[in-house]
Amino acid sequence: MFAIGAVGFLLRRNLLVLLMSIELMLNAVNLTLVAFNRVHPHNHAGQIFAFFIIVVAAAEAAIGLAIVLSFFRVRKTVRSDDADLLRNWP
Amino acid sequence: MSFELMLALSPVLIVVLGGAALMLVEAMSTKKPDVDESASSEIALGTAMTLLAGAVAALGVWFYGPENLPSAAALAPYFVLDRFTLFFTFVLCFGGALAALLAGGYLPEHRLDRGEFYPLLTFSVVGAIALAAAADLLSLFVALETMSLGVYCLTGFRRGSTRSTEAAVKYFLLGSFAAALTVYGVALIYGATGHTDLAGIKSVIRAFSANAGDPAVSSRLAVLIVGMVLVIAGLGFKISAVPFHMWTPDAYEGAPTPATSFMAVSVKAAAFAMLLRVLIGGFSDPASMSWSAGWPPVLAAFAVLTMTVANVVAGRQESVKRMLAYSSIAHAGYLLVGVVATVRSSADGQGSVLFYLLTYTFSTAGAFGALVLCGSRGKEAVTFEDLAGIGKRHPAAAAVFSLFLLSLAGVPPTAGFFGKLYVVKAALGSELYVLTIVLLLNSVIAAYYYLRVLVYMYMKEPMAGAPIAVPMKSGYVAAALVLAAMAIIGIGLLPGSSLEMAIKAALS
Repeated sequence: MFAIGAVGFLLRRNLLVLLMSIELMLNAVNLTLVAFNRVHPHNHAGQIFAFFIIVVAAAEAAIGLAIVLSFFRVRKTVRSDDADLLRNWP
Repeated sequence: MSFELMLALSPVLIVVLGGAALMLVEAMSTKKPDVDESASSEIALGTAMTLLAGAVAALGVWFYGPENLPSAAALAPYFVLDRFTLFFTFVLCFGGALAALLAGGYLPEHRLDRGEFYPLLTFSVVGAIALAAAADLLSLFVALETMSLGVYCLTGFRRGSTRSTEAAVKYFLLGSFAAALTVYGVALIYGATGHTDLAGIKSVIRAFSANAGDPAVSSRLAVLIVGMVLVIAGLGFKISAVPFHMWTPDAYEGAPTPATSFMAVSVKAAAFAMLLRVLIGGFSDPASMSWSAGWPPVLAAFAVLTMTVANVVAGRQESVKRMLAYSSIAHAGYLLVGVVATVRSSADGQGSVLFYLLTYTFSTAGAFGALVLCGSRGKEAVTFEDLAGIGKRHPAAAAVFSLFLLSLAGVPPTAGFFGKLYVVKAALGSELYVLTIVLLLNSVIAAYYYLRVLVYMYMKEPMAGAPIAVPMKSGYVAAALVLAAMAIIGIGLLPGSSLEMAIKAALS
């Protein structure tokens, strides 16, 4: 799942799909943490960590959508290839 | 909450409560950004005062001695109050205060005068302090996101500008991708060791190397190493080390200049605090610190690449702001040399990194501030051509800009010289001769593009008909520049005491 998210992030060119890929990666982390908590049952650090990641992911999604929205308002596009004004890599 | 705990936490409490109060003041304000001349300038001043008060409180707790406040240990490992944290609290608050002062002049000048800039800045500083204080991977991740989310918004603050929004999109996407990598690495480390606190991770790794032949241990070790690689890649993004630096010039160029200054100064300092905490706190056992199987060769390779690529590319830029962005990447490379030097002598290496960050904070914030000063609305100073002849027309602006550039280049007797000197000393003490030679060669390359600005300012005349930059007039910007200039000259003339503090602040 993490690999799907990472590959999606690197290959897709739609900003909204990129946001979804990041969410997918964070959910993969949650699953990993909860699964590993079965291996280390002496406390619930893994499950608690997953809760924190859910909260942070929600905040991140809100900010991300706001930024993509303001980008769309100015440029009328959500393709990441069109974000090329600042590129003058020699 | 005991009084002792309140005293120990006073730097953070001041910044949090001050930020919240200023947010209320901003919300209740009857001034309209479109009508009033400078609607949010009081908030700029208040933010700068709050952050400076936080820095002063950090100094106060430092001199009182965190070891005299035992009840602060109740928050460990999520929020560790040691000298390391206090040192970074001072640096981060000062960087934030300088950015707030610059914003107080810049935002009204460029018709961006909206008060939400300042709460975002203040709470990013809080996240950065928490990041420097986190000795548990859980609080480290939350603090990292607290800091980053604020900075993403600051980057896209100029909503109507194509460049600013594009910079925010790029910074946000790569930043959260890096955060996801980091946190996946953290999950794997948790799976391998069963701990999220760095001290526990360290003890488990010790136990691993004690019985290395066991097949159960070797499978866990494989998971641990993958986790560590992911965490180091994520940290590399945050400190903008080559090859993870692609977002840096774009984000720095597109963001409003005070936000750029904050990103280059405080965000980078906090990222280095995090790097040192993780490496020294969690991975400082002999196996992970060895040159054959641990992190030193990886970071040394990053350091060489970062310094060389950034300096070569910086020399070819036409935009001064972008040149300063590449220069800040190059400084991350110099700092990485100091981090690698912790392998042999932990205190010297860390002391040199901390001292370098202190000098770098003032030099970089000053350089971006001088760039703010040299431009006004519609007549911004962006390219080298814009600055041509400004030494004759506006000698004061050119003089402070030169001071900060000389400090960045490491010319004595500025603070930047001593910062580089102690990194070189720490590297030589750890017998890192190759890294030292690369660092010195790179300083020579760097001098070329810093001096190029001086050449344009003092020796060239603007071409006929070309747009010329007109410096703005703002007490806020002037105050920020005077503060930074005094700090650079002060540290440059008397480096002893601040260096002593930096070495005392090193993690054991």
